Amino acid sequence: MKKSDLDKVKIKQIPAQKRTNPFANVFDEFVGFCRSRSMFMLHYCTGCGAIELPPAMTSRFDMERLGIQPMVSPRQADILLITGYVSIKTLKRVILTYEQMAAPKYVIGICSCTVNGGMYWQSYATAKKLDEYFPVDLYIAGCMPRPEAVIEGLQQLMQKIKANEANSWKQYYKNYDYFLGNQQHLFGNNWQTPTDVIGEAETYQLAGPNTLGEHTKILQSVQTPLKPLEMKL
Amino acid sequence: MSIAHSQNLNVLLQEIEGIQLTFHNPRRLRADIAAEALPALLALLRGRASYVHLSAISCVDWIDDNQFELVYHLWSYETSVLISAHIRVPRDPGIYLSVFDIYTPAAFFERDIHEMFGLYFEGSPDMSKFILTEWNGPPPMRKDFDSEKWVMETFSWQQYHPDWLQELEQQGGGIVSTPESIRAGNRPMENKS
Repeated sequence: MKKSDLDKVKIKQIPAQKRTNPFANVFDEFVGFCRSRSMFMLHYCTGCGAIELPPAMTSRFDMERLGIQPMVSPRQADILLITGYVSIKTLKRVILTYEQMAAPKYVIGICSCTVNGGMYWQSYATAKKLDEYFPVDLYIAGCMPRPEAVIEGLQQLMQKIKANEANSWKQYYKNYDYFLGNQQHLFGNNWQTPTDVIGEAETYQLAGPNTLGEHTKILQSVQTPLKPLEMKL
Repeated sequence: MSIAHSQNLNVLLQEIEGIQLTFHNPRRLRADIAAEALPALLALLRGRASYVHLSAISCVDWIDDNQFELVYHLWSYETSVLISAHIRVPRDPGIYLSVFDIYTPAAFFERDIHEMFGLYFEGSPDMSKFILTEWNGPPPMRKDFDSEKWVMETFSWQQYHPDWLQELEQQGGGIVSTPESIRAGNRPMENKS
């Protein structure tokens, strides 16, 4: 598929809808509050922006007072923080990491490079727009953003979560065809991940009209089923 | 390096035919030789002159001369002298001999050069993909590969026009030189044609 065809696809942002039951509303708000106050952050330090994270995390700016802690594994993390340029080779790993994370998951792109490639625009090896390959909740632009900006961005994310507006992870299920198309554009048609995104979307009733399409057809034609790992003592 | 050592080196290297030696300073020697004589030079330096460390092989694409320049950087721990041996090989068909049998680390440098420049080394143990495992295009460090054109065809541009820039533009300021204006003047590929 050509790039120009992919550009035509626009993703609609779905506004947060309040439920009709007032008790359910209270429950939702409570859940949003709790989620926003306890977040584990997986920082995928790909580029120079990573150097701003130690001061943001440690005593000087102290991310932990917001309830944000670093986490070592994607399966327990809530936030995927991508700091800096993402090469095409790294992007594969980032997508694998993103798909392993449990929902609700939030993605923050730090530095100009995640917005449009930044100073690596002419580079043959760097992926440019991060939100073409998976949904991004928040960008913190700058080269590099200072820890104050990182904290400010995290606070914005907290506000979004509290208001139940940070639903970008649902977009990945609803528009999987679009994201997969962009991924296949870079990695070739043989691209597949161990995660069964279509199956997840159907299980969680998040599949929409744009979940399946021509790109998922290609995926389903080349997909080899996963086998359980051999157990040996 | 002592004067005696440099004289020794001079005498030793005269065994290679057609060698040109240039001392940039007492610890930095440049040797220009024919491509066929390079394995002999390396064997000589390693076997009889303590240059046991091949620190890098670098490659330069001289597209106008239709040649690749290979530079072998050799280091001696005993005399602290760096010798760079320069050879030129034709760009087409782009095949040269591996020096893996003289210096084992050459395997990595040669694999890297094969990936980045497409220069094939005969006798190198592994010429498969090294770092650019996701790359299927032409070797990207060749001068005739237009990286920016490839990017323009592959990726889409994301406009960045924030509020602070709009405010600056209203006051008569803004971006002085756009990327396009820089590209038109500074690109060597376009200047030639």
